[in-house]
Amino acid sequence: MIRVLVTDDSRVMRQIVVRTLRQAGYDWDVREASDGVEALAAIKADEPDVVLSDWNMPNMTGIELLHALRAAGYQTPFGFVTSEGSPEMRAAAESAGALFLIAKPFTPEAFREVIDPVLA
Amino acid sequence: MTATVEHDQVLSIAQEVFSAMVDGDLGLLLPWEGDLPEIDDALVAWVDLHGEWSGRAVLVTAGPTALELARVLLDLDPRDEVSPDDLVDALGEIANVVGGNLKSLLPTPGTLGLPHVGDALPPLDGAVRSQHLPLSWRGRLLVIDVWVTPLVLKEKP
Repeated sequence: MIRVLVTDDSRVMRQIVVRTLRQAGYDWDVREASDGVEALAAIKADEPDVVLSDWNMPNMTGIELLHALRAAGYQTPFGFVTSEGSPEMRAAAESAGALFLIAKPFTPEAFREVIDPVLA
Repeated sequence: MTATVEHDQVLSIAQEVFSAMVDGDLGLLLPWEGDLPEIDDALVAWVDLHGEWSGRAVLVTAGPTALELARVLLDLDPRDEVSPDDLVDALGEIANVVGGNLKSLLPTPGTLGLPHVGDALPPLDGAVRSQHLPLSWRGRLLVIDVWVTPLVLKEKP
Protein backbone atom coordinates (compact mmCIF):
# COMPACT_ATOMS: atom_id res chain seq x y z
CA MET A 1 0.00 0.00 0.00
CA ILE A 2 1.30 3.45 -0.93
CA ARG A 3 1.99 5.67 2.08
CA VAL A 4 1.23 9.36 1.61
CA LEU A 5 1.94 12.39 3.80
CA VAL A 6 -0.70 15.10 3.30
CA THR A 7 0.63 18.50 4.40
CA ASP A 8 -1.62 21.53 4.77
CA ASP A 9 -2.11 24.08 7.55
CA SER A 10 -5.88 23.75 7.08
CA ARG A 11 -7.37 20.66 8.75
CA VAL A 12 -10.45 21.13 6.59
CA MET A 13 -8.33 21.07 3.44
CA ARG A 14 -6.37 18.00 4.61
CA GLN A 15 -9.67 16.24 5.10
CA ILE A 16 -10.84 17.27 1.63
CA VAL A 17 -7.56 16.05 0.09
CA VAL A 18 -7.83 12.69 1.88
CA ARG A 19 -11.48 12.35 0.83
CA THR A 20 -10.60 13.21 -2.77
CA LEU A 21 -7.80 10.63 -2.81
CA ARG A 22 -10.33 7.96 -1.81
CA GLN A 23 -12.86 9.24 -4.36
CA ALA A 24 -10.11 9.03 -6.99
CA GLY A 25 -9.64 5.37 -6.10
CA TYR A 26 -6.39 5.61 -4.15
CA ASP A 27 -6.70 3.39 -1.11
CA TRP A 28 -3.55 4.76 0.47
CA ASP A 29 -2.19 4.81 3.99
CA VAL A 30 -2.47 8.48 5.02
CA ARG A 31 -0.49 10.54 7.51
CA GLU A 32 -0.94 14.26 8.00
CA ALA A 33 1.24 17.26 8.81
CA SER A 34 0.14 20.85 9.44
CA ASP A 35 3.13 22.73 8.02
CA GLY A 36 6.52 22.24 6.40
CA VAL A 37 8.40 21.92 9.68
CA GLU A 38 6.12 19.13 10.87
CA ALA A 39 6.27 17.44 7.47
CA LEU A 40 10.07 17.55 7.32
CA ALA A 41 10.31 15.91 10.74
CA ALA A 42 7.72 13.28 9.79
CA ILE A 43 9.56 12.45 6.56
CA LYS A 44 12.93 12.17 8.30
CA ALA A 45 11.40 9.93 10.96
CA ASP A 46 9.61 7.64 8.50
CA GLU A 47 9.87 8.45 4.79
CA PRO A 48 6.53 8.08 2.97
CA ASP A 49 6.16 6.98 -0.67
CA VAL A 50 4.78 10.37 -1.69
CA VAL A 51 4.16 13.83 -0.24
CA LEU A 52 1.16 15.96 -1.19
CA SER A 53 1.73 19.47 0.10
CA ASP A 54 0.09 22.86 0.20
CA TRP A 55 2.34 25.75 -0.89
CA ASN A 56 1.40 28.66 1.35
CA MET A 57 1.81 27.62 5.01
CA PRO A 58 3.15 29.25 8.18
CA ASN A 59 6.55 28.27 9.64
CA MET A 60 7.80 26.54 6.49
CA THR A 61 6.13 26.79 3.08
CA GLY A 62 5.71 23.87 0.73
CA ILE A 63 8.46 25.02 -1.63
CA GLU A 64 10.83 25.50 1.34
CA LEU A 65 9.95 21.98 2.46
CA LEU A 66 10.78 20.58 -0.98
CA HIS A 67 14.11 22.45 -1.09
CA ALA A 68 14.95 21.24 2.44
CA LEU A 69 14.14 17.65 1.51
CA ARG A 70 16.29 17.67 -1.60
CA ALA A 71 19.12 19.44 0.25
CA ALA A 72 18.99 16.69 2.88
CA GLY A 73 19.24 14.04 0.16
CA TYR A 74 15.61 12.85 0.18
CA GLN A 75 14.22 12.12 -3.27
CA THR A 76 10.69 11.46 -1.95
CA PRO A 77 8.14 11.91 -4.77
CA PHE A 78 6.48 15.27 -4.13
CA GLY A 79 3.41 17.02 -5.50
CA PHE A 80 1.78 20.33 -4.64
CA VAL A 81 -1.93 20.81 -3.93
CA THR A 82 -2.32 24.56 -3.78
CA SER A 83 -4.78 27.38 -4.32
CA GLU A 84 -2.47 29.02 -6.83
CA GLY A 85 -1.67 27.49 -10.19
CA SER A 86 0.09 30.34 -11.98
CA PRO A 87 2.69 29.51 -14.65
CA GLU A 88 5.42 31.00 -12.41
CA MET A 89 4.52 28.69 -9.53
CA ARG A 90 4.29 25.66 -11.80
CA ALA A 91 7.75 26.47 -13.17
CA ALA A 92 9.14 26.97 -9.65
CA ALA A 93 7.60 23.68 -8.52
CA GLU A 94 9.01 21.79 -11.47
CA SER A 95 12.50 23.24 -11.16
CA ALA A 96 12.53 22.34 -7.45
CA GLY A 97 11.74 18.74 -8.35
CA ALA A 98 7.97 18.47 -7.84
CA LEU A 99 6.22 15.86 -9.96
CA PHE A 100 3.00 17.84 -10.34
CA LEU A 101 0.94 20.76 -9.10
CA ILE A 102 -2.78 20.34 -8.52
CA ALA A 103 -4.63 23.65 -8.24
CA LYS A 104 -7.49 24.06 -5.77
CA PRO A 105 -10.36 23.66 -6.25
CA PHE A 106 -9.83 20.13 -7.56
CA THR A 107 -11.83 17.08 -8.47
CA PRO A 108 -11.05 13.34 -8.17
CA GLU A 109 -10.51 13.39 -11.94
CA ALA A 110 -7.87 16.11 -11.58
CA PHE A 111 -6.08 13.93 -9.01
CA ARG A 112 -6.12 10.89 -11.31
CA GLU A 113 -4.94 12.89 -14.30
CA VAL A 114 -1.68 13.88 -12.64
CA ILE A 115 -1.13 11.07 -10.13
CA ASP A 116 -1.83 8.04 -12.34
CA PRO A 117 1.02 8.71 -14.79
CA VAL A 118 3.65 9.15 -12.08
CA LEU A 119 2.64 6.85 -9.24
CA ALA A 120 -0.07 4.33 -9.89
CA MET B 1 -5.22 40.04 -19.95
CA THR B 2 -5.96 43.24 -18.09
CA ALA B 3 -4.84 44.36 -14.64
CA THR B 4 -8.42 44.43 -13.45
CA VAL B 5 -10.53 41.57 -12.23
CA GLU B 6 -13.92 41.48 -13.89
CA HIS B 7 -17.24 40.69 -12.24
CA ASP B 8 -17.83 37.60 -14.37
CA GLN B 9 -14.35 36.25 -13.59
CA VAL B 10 -15.01 36.49 -9.86
CA LEU B 11 -18.41 34.84 -10.27
CA SER B 12 -16.89 32.07 -12.33
CA ILE B 13 -14.16 31.44 -9.72
CA ALA B 14 -16.67 31.41 -6.87
CA GLN B 15 -18.95 28.99 -8.69
CA GLU B 16 -16.04 26.69 -9.54
CA VAL B 17 -14.78 26.73 -5.95
CA PHE B 18 -18.20 25.90 -4.52
CA SER B 19 -18.90 23.29 -7.17
CA ALA B 20 -15.62 21.42 -6.62
CA MET B 21 -14.97 22.00 -2.91
CA VAL B 22 -18.36 22.36 -1.30
CA ASP B 23 -21.28 21.08 -3.30
CA GLY B 24 -19.88 18.57 -5.75
CA ASP B 25 -22.34 20.00 -8.21
CA LEU B 26 -22.89 23.18 -10.21
CA GLY B 27 -25.84 25.45 -9.75
CA LEU B 28 -25.98 25.82 -5.94
CA LEU B 29 -24.19 29.20 -5.94
CA LEU B 30 -26.02 31.83 -7.97
CA PRO B 31 -26.25 35.62 -8.16
CA TRP B 32 -28.56 36.92 -5.42
CA GLU B 33 -31.93 38.01 -6.76
CA GLY B 34 -33.93 40.80 -5.14
CA ASP B 35 -33.34 42.99 -2.12
CA LEU B 36 -30.32 42.35 0.05
CA PRO B 37 -31.17 41.46 3.64
CA GLU B 38 -28.92 42.60 6.47
CA ILE B 39 -26.37 39.98 7.45
CA ASP B 40 -26.80 39.40 11.18
CA ASP B 41 -24.01 37.84 13.20
CA ALA B 42 -21.65 38.23 10.22
CA LEU B 43 -18.41 36.33 9.80
CA VAL B 44 -15.78 37.69 7.44
CA ALA B 45 -12.95 35.72 5.83
CA TRP B 46 -10.26 37.42 3.77
CA VAL B 47 -6.92 36.91 2.14
CA ASP B 48 -4.59 39.67 0.94
CA LEU B 49 -2.70 39.70 -2.34
CA HIS B 50 0.61 41.56 -2.55
CA GLY B 51 2.60 42.64 -5.57
CA GLU B 52 2.14 45.03 -8.48
CA TRP B 53 -1.54 44.14 -8.10
CA SER B 54 -2.40 44.40 -4.43
CA GLY B 55 -5.77 43.86 -2.91
CA ARG B 56 -7.98 41.57 -0.92
CA ALA B 57 -10.50 38.80 -1.56
CA VAL B 58 -13.31 38.82 0.99
CA LEU B 59 -16.11 36.44 1.88
CA VAL B 60 -18.94 37.63 4.15
CA THR B 61 -21.80 35.55 5.42
CA ALA B 62 -24.04 35.07 8.43
CA GLY B 63 -22.81 32.88 11.27
CA PRO B 64 -25.40 30.12 10.66
CA THR B 65 -24.48 29.99 6.95
CA ALA B 66 -20.80 29.73 7.85
CA LEU B 67 -21.62 26.83 10.18
CA GLU B 68 -23.53 25.09 7.39
CA LEU B 69 -20.62 25.64 5.00
CA ALA B 70 -18.21 24.10 7.52
CA ARG B 71 -20.53 21.11 8.01
CA VAL B 72 -20.66 20.49 4.28
CA LEU B 73 -16.89 20.90 3.84
CA LEU B 74 -16.18 18.53 6.72
CA ASP B 75 -18.86 16.09 5.58
CA LEU B 76 -20.64 16.35 8.95
CA ASP B 77 -24.18 15.46 9.85
CA PRO B 78 -26.52 18.50 10.15
CA ARG B 79 -26.82 17.84 13.89
CA ASP B 80 -23.06 17.61 14.47
CA GLU B 81 -21.32 20.36 16.39
CA VAL B 82 -18.73 22.42 14.51
CA SER B 83 -15.80 23.52 16.63
CA PRO B 84 -14.78 27.20 16.52
CA ASP B 85 -11.40 26.17 15.03
CA ASP B 86 -13.05 24.20 12.24
CA LEU B 87 -15.45 27.06 11.51
CA VAL B 88 -12.56 29.52 11.11
CA ASP B 89 -10.55 27.00 9.13
CA ALA B 90 -13.39 26.21 6.71
CA LEU B 91 -14.37 29.80 5.99
CA GLY B 92 -10.74 30.91 5.71
CA GLU B 93 -9.91 28.12 3.30
CA ILE B 94 -12.74 29.12 0.95
CA ALA B 95 -11.44 32.72 0.94
CA ASN B 96 -7.92 31.36 0.41
CA VAL B 97 -8.90 29.31 -2.66
CA VAL B 98 -10.92 32.19 -4.12
CA GLY B 99 -7.94 34.53 -3.54
CA GLY B 100 -5.49 32.05 -5.04
CA ASN B 101 -7.58 31.72 -8.16
CA LEU B 102 -7.93 35.50 -8.44
CA LYS B 103 -4.16 35.76 -8.21
CA SER B 104 -3.81 33.30 -11.08
CA LEU B 105 -5.74 35.75 -13.30
CA LEU B 106 -3.30 38.57 -12.70
CA PRO B 107 -0.68 39.45 -15.30
CA THR B 108 2.16 39.91 -12.83
CA PRO B 109 3.52 37.59 -10.15
CA GLY B 110 2.81 38.40 -6.53
CA THR B 111 2.26 36.71 -3.22
CA LEU B 112 -0.82 35.53 -1.42
CA GLY B 113 -1.12 36.04 2.33
CA LEU B 114 -2.58 33.56 4.77
CA PRO B 115 -6.34 33.62 5.31
CA HIS B 116 -7.91 35.45 8.25
CA VAL B 117 -11.38 35.23 9.77
CA GLY B 118 -13.13 37.69 12.07
CA ASP B 119 -16.38 39.47 12.72
CA ALA B 120 -15.33 42.63 10.85
CA LEU B 121 -12.98 43.50 8.02
CA PRO B 122 -9.90 45.49 9.10
CA PRO B 123 -9.01 48.47 6.91
CA LEU B 124 -6.65 48.04 3.98
CA ASP B 125 -4.81 51.31 3.35
CA GLY B 126 -6.65 53.34 0.74
CA ALA B 127 -8.21 50.29 -0.87
CA VAL B 128 -11.52 50.54 -2.67
CA ARG B 129 -14.03 47.82 -3.35
CA SER B 130 -13.80 46.97 -7.06
CA GLN B 131 -16.21 44.06 -7.15
CA HIS B 132 -19.23 43.23 -5.01
CA LEU B 133 -21.04 39.98 -5.61
CA PRO B 134 -24.04 39.15 -3.44
CA LEU B 135 -24.61 35.44 -4.03
CA SER B 136 -27.15 32.86 -3.02
CA TRP B 137 -25.69 29.62 -1.70
CA ARG B 138 -28.56 27.17 -1.26
CA GLY B 139 -30.81 30.21 -0.77
CA ARG B 140 -28.58 31.81 1.88
CA LEU B 141 -26.83 35.15 1.32
CA LEU B 142 -23.07 35.04 0.90
CA VAL B 143 -21.11 38.03 -0.38
CA ILE B 144 -17.78 37.97 -2.19
CA ASP B 145 -15.93 41.26 -2.56
CA VAL B 146 -12.66 42.18 -4.22
CA TRP B 147 -10.75 45.20 -2.88
CA VAL B 148 -7.97 46.87 -4.84
CA THR B 149 -5.27 49.29 -3.71
CA PRO B 150 -4.84 52.72 -5.37
CA LEU B 151 -1.65 51.67 -7.19
CA VAL B 152 -3.66 49.32 -9.35
CA LEU B 153 -6.40 51.86 -9.92
CA LYS B 154 -3.87 54.40 -11.19
CA GLU B 155 -2.67 51.88 -13.76
CA LYS B 156 -6.13 51.29 -15.16
CA PRO B 157 -6.50 52.63 -18.70
